[in-house]
Amino acid sequence: MDIVLGITTKDAVIIATSKAAVRGISILKVTDDKTRQLSDNSLMAFTGEAGDTVQFAELIQANARLYSMRNGVDLSPTAISNFTRNELANALRSRKPFQVNVLIAGFDKKTNKSSLNWIDYLAANVSLPYAAHGYASYYTLSLLDRHHKKDMNLEEGLELLKACIAELQKRIPFDFKGVYVKIVDKDGVRDLDDIE
Amino acid sequence: MSLQEALPDSALHSTASSVPIEHRFNPYSDNGGTILGIAGKDFAVLAGDTRNTTGYSINSRYEPKVFHVGDNVVVSANGFAADGNVLVKRLGQQIQWYHYNHNKELKLSSCARLVQHMLYGKRFFPYYVHTILAGLDEDGKGAIYSFDPVGSYEREQCRAGGAAASLIMPFLDNQVNFKNQMDPATNGTEPHPITYLSLEEVLQLVKDAFSSATERHIQVGDGLEILIVTKDGVRTEYSPLKRD
Amino acid sequence: MDTISSRFTSASAMALGNDNCNEFNPDGFLDAPSLSLPPISQPAAFLRAHTDDASNRDCTIKVNHGTTTLAFRFQGGIVVAVDSRATAGNWIASQTVKKVIEINPFLLGTMAGGAADCQYWETWLGTQCRLHELRSKERISVAAASKMLSNLVYSYKGMGLSMGTMVCGYTEREGPTIYYVDSDGTRLKGDMFCVGSGQTFAYGVLDASYKWDLSVDEALALGKRSILAATHRDAYSGGSINLYHVTQDGWVYHGNYDVGTTFWETKAKEESFNNVKVEL
Repeated sequence: MDIVLGITTKDAVIIATSKAAVRGISILKVTDDKTRQLSDNSLMAFTGEAGDTVQFAELIQANARLYSMRNGVDLSPTAISNFTRNELANALRSRKPFQVNVLIAGFDKKTNKSSLNWIDYLAANVSLPYAAHGYASYYTLSLLDRHHKKDMNLEEGLELLKACIAELQKRIPFDFKGVYVKIVDKDGVRDLDDIE
Repeated sequence: MSLQEALPDSALHSTASSVPIEHRFNPYSDNGGTILGIAGKDFAVLAGDTRNTTGYSINSRYEPKVFHVGDNVVVSANGFAADGNVLVKRLGQQIQWYHYNHNKELKLSSCARLVQHMLYGKRFFPYYVHTILAGLDEDGKGAIYSFDPVGSYEREQCRAGGAAASLIMPFLDNQVNFKNQMDPATNGTEPHPITYLSLEEVLQLVKDAFSSATERHIQVGDGLEILIVTKDGVRTEYSPLKRD
Repeated sequence: MDTISSRFTSASAMALGNDNCNEFNPDGFLDAPSLSLPPISQPAAFLRAHTDDASNRDCTIKVNHGTTTLAFRFQGGIVVAVDSRATAGNWIASQTVKKVIEINPFLLGTMAGGAADCQYWETWLGTQCRLHELRSKERISVAAASKMLSNLVYSYKGMGLSMGTMVCGYTEREGPTIYYVDSDGTRLKGDMFCVGSGQTFAYGVLDASYKWDLSVDEALALGKRSILAATHRDAYSGGSINLYHVTQDGWVYHGNYDVGTTFWETKAKEESFNNVKVEL
């Protein structure tokens, strides 16, 4: 039900997550943020089983920060993605797996490259130029296939995101109460004005 | 006595006896086998193996399932043999009636439409068969029509049906329609041109397809019967397949 | 006893598909052919047990499903575009299906859902449209044609028909018109519909670039590109793309495009499909 979208541009990653928190037939909250910042230059967006999602995201967040404190250096987005995959893979083979799907957006300051990793609860980890989880993927992936270009700048990326959100507003048969938009680049993670 | 008369009928008999007991109704079976039709420039062939099975039992090593139903039309309905036999028999009768009523041949395209109506007529109690029709069209060109169990159909150059269809069809795509083949004359830069195969080439393809299917499918084997349609009529060729 | 004997006695021996079965003739459709029923009390449940692989995975009869079809109205008429793949479970039954049914020179029907249901009832619709012409000396309206189809499928509701179709046509009175008709009995007039398992992917591309003022060439290209997008993301869609344009003079066929070659041409021209790596 939740919308989780990610688009890479030349030197930033854009993440959009829906603001509605839905349980059963009710919307419980219209300002729900489905992201957690993992390090200075990486962000996790998540969707899945209620309860598991935030627990899992904050577990990864805590471990990423612990690593930084112990070693005085941040994990790269790739390293965080691999760590996240490993946690999900171990959980999957435990008594109670995490039923969480995530996107990890990051900017690697060593290589000066943005990255986006798509990871599902079965612990498949893929690096992609654009990605989505859940029903949103059915409407947006074809659009992104068509209009996404290598080395887009941020403005073009945001235009593309607007087209995706417009499509979701038009076709998804429920109100997801708009999305929070966040940008991950060399300067860190920042919020953008909401796209309604 | 008076007590019994006072009671309503349904109180004396259980509901099961006033309504017939209905067991799970499964009127279908799978008799295996495979069929294959290929159209050429001025001919069409329709081939089928002659093994008939249920489960792991071989009922017969020679039970033909490709038939000439008149007017240079050959047909096979592969799957559940009882349904297939009824369908083929009724098609033959319909063609006979067409002759009595109109005193002319039934065109192959009309025959195909007739088969659609016969299959769709049982849309809610389908014939459990994959049907292939072969013959010559109005221009004398070879034609194959293939049908799903409830009558959706399409004219094609070639089609395999039945148990080993998934083994044979990819081979046919490559060898008849030259799918994923490049033209050797262009050093592999252009796709292979679509050309008609000769009857000899087609018969060899059919034999290779069936001998290979026999090697890898337990329901295929024993014998191969090929019906060949040309302007001169229908001819039958039989060749043995492995009997294990 | 009477109920049992009547069940095993056929009403008319000459009807197609009559062997020892009940027959179904929907109310008010005296000109619709009668279809035989299995001699049991719940024919629909019987059919579902044997043909529906969603409710029964090892069912005996597989029926073709899975598709992407679209039609949209624009300044220059209607564009209709479809894929050509037919699937039965994971088996690709055909890559060369004609999913646009040419009902008559002014009417097109599209095919999604059960292949036989669409093919059979849309050709039936063609005969009904011709009879209307002969009776009233006037071409049938798209509204009337689509309503005949929707009334027909509605009369079979609950019996397992599966179709999602767009009836597209042009008449002097209506202009270019699209009706969506499905086997639930829904009938909707509209400017744009995508139907089938790949519908969402087609909508994604179509919505983003659609304008009423599209030129004919642009509209045809957009229809084709939307189906291509769906064949790329939906495994049940593929094969090739068939394109049609409906104008005041009837429909015009605009060719068949193999997805295998069209994809690489499109990717190179647009610099799109960036999830597909050309080199490792």
